[in-house]
Amino acid sequence: MKLQIMKIALLLLMVLGAATAGFSQAKKPTLMVVPSDVWCNTNGYMQVYDDQGTKVKIPDYKRAFQENSDLLAVISKVNGMMAERGFPLKNMESVIKTLESERAENAILTSKSGAGVSESPMDKLKKTAKADIIIQLTWDVLKTGPKKSVRFTMQGLDAYTDKEVATAGGTGNPSFSAETAVLLEEAVADKVDNFNAGLQRHFDDLFANGREIIIRIKKFDSWKNDLETEYGGKELNVVIEDWVRANSLKGRFSNSDATENMMLFEQVRIPLYDANGNAIDARGFARGLQKFLAAAPYSIVNKLTAKGLGQAVIVLGEK
Amino acid sequence: MLMLLITGFSSVVSAQTNKKANEDTEAWRYELEVAGTGVQGTYLLKVWSYSKKPNVAIEQAKKNAVHGIIFKGFAGDQGILGKPPLVTNSNLEQEKDEWFKTFFADGGKYMKFVSLASDGAVAAEDRMKVGKQYKIGVLVSVNVALLRKDLEDAGIIKSLNAGF
Repeated sequence: MKLQIMKIALLLLMVLGAATAGFSQAKKPTLMVVPSDVWCNTNGYMQVYDDQGTKVKIPDYKRAFQENSDLLAVISKVNGMMAERGFPLKNMESVIKTLESERAENAILTSKSGAGVSESPMDKLKKTAKADIIIQLTWDVLKTGPKKSVRFTMQGLDAYTDKEVATAGGTGNPSFSAETAVLLEEAVADKVDNFNAGLQRHFDDLFANGREIIIRIKKFDSWKNDLETEYGGKELNVVIEDWVRANSLKGRFSNSDATENMMLFEQVRIPLYDANGNAIDARGFARGLQKFLAAAPYSIVNKLTAKGLGQAVIVLGEK
Repeated sequence: MLMLLITGFSSVVSAQTNKKANEDTEAWRYELEVAGTGVQGTYLLKVWSYSKKPNVAIEQAKKNAVHGIIFKGFAGDQGILGKPPLVTNSNLEQEKDEWFKTFFADGGKYMKFVSLASDGAVAAEDRMKVGKQYKIGVLVSVNVALLRKDLEDAGIIKSLNAGF
């Protein structure tokens, strides 16, 4: 009797496990609307600082969100239309506010013994508003005599591969009487469907051919070996390249750069799920390489860091 | 008796005209022209349909508009972007033949998503005689957001977040 109950329980567990694997969902990319540098520059939302004698301009997003109501209306319209399609976007203004409050909290957070929160310079650098796909917006109002029209461009940029995965743009109908706000609303309504068609093509490609990621290999200068060191008659860079070839989907990748100190793998296509049916991203994929290098015969201590879903960095030599 | 015969004959002729219009739709014999930017979630189109009877062409315009948005898409004009079709699989029409037959049947579900923008009034320049047929241009408004949602719920097309 006890044996029978155990058998039934085991069977139930197996069925549940299979069902979970079957319903496992791929990791959903995050999207965020960002005004382009050109828009910020044209509308005067830039900060200028002196970088060793060279004047460098960077967009001042916070001021743009606080001062420009057209920007707010356009972003809100895009967000609303994307939410209708089941793809709510991250709101950049809220992300900036959350980052600021977290920074303030971290500065004052202490334990009862007086310990503060650990934060390396790298942690600080990574605290920026980010998303997997950036929807970059640019628009300007064109005037011909009394007629006004809006030139509007939406670009979907993959934050890791830098590829433009979706785009829609064009100049709207000129009008004598319509307000700029109305023309902008019209422009968004007209462009979003075409933009989403491009995004759908990108997602279809992702499900058919795997996620496209970037892997960087680096070394700490304290490590006495490098990527040309031989292990069992093979240089380390060849060993790593062979691993990437064997584990990427259909062996698709390009090794764009390789020196004794670094390697760059671009357009690496990885499966959306691992062998257990769990959804994986660049970090999950690179963890395999990390373990492979840490194990014998290589026994290389290494550090793995990730950036979103699509970029992983392995630094050899130390943790 | 004569009256019965006449009535019977006229309904057969009317059914034949409707059948011909449906065949034209299936053979892509219609043209879509963008007529303006509709309110959010809708497309405003001028649909050119063919029939021996103008009223059949006007009614068929609704079906042609939905058919075109699903399978054909349309080109842009004067500052308004053209739109790609809702389906991305070019063989879907054959693969889901039965479902689309019910959807596009006379008085079928397609009616839910389309309305005549000008209450069926046709401008004089939008009524042309081509051989023995009329070519009629009718302004229609299609609720694309609702149509897309309906097709997604029926599993005909994938939603943007499918698989995530």
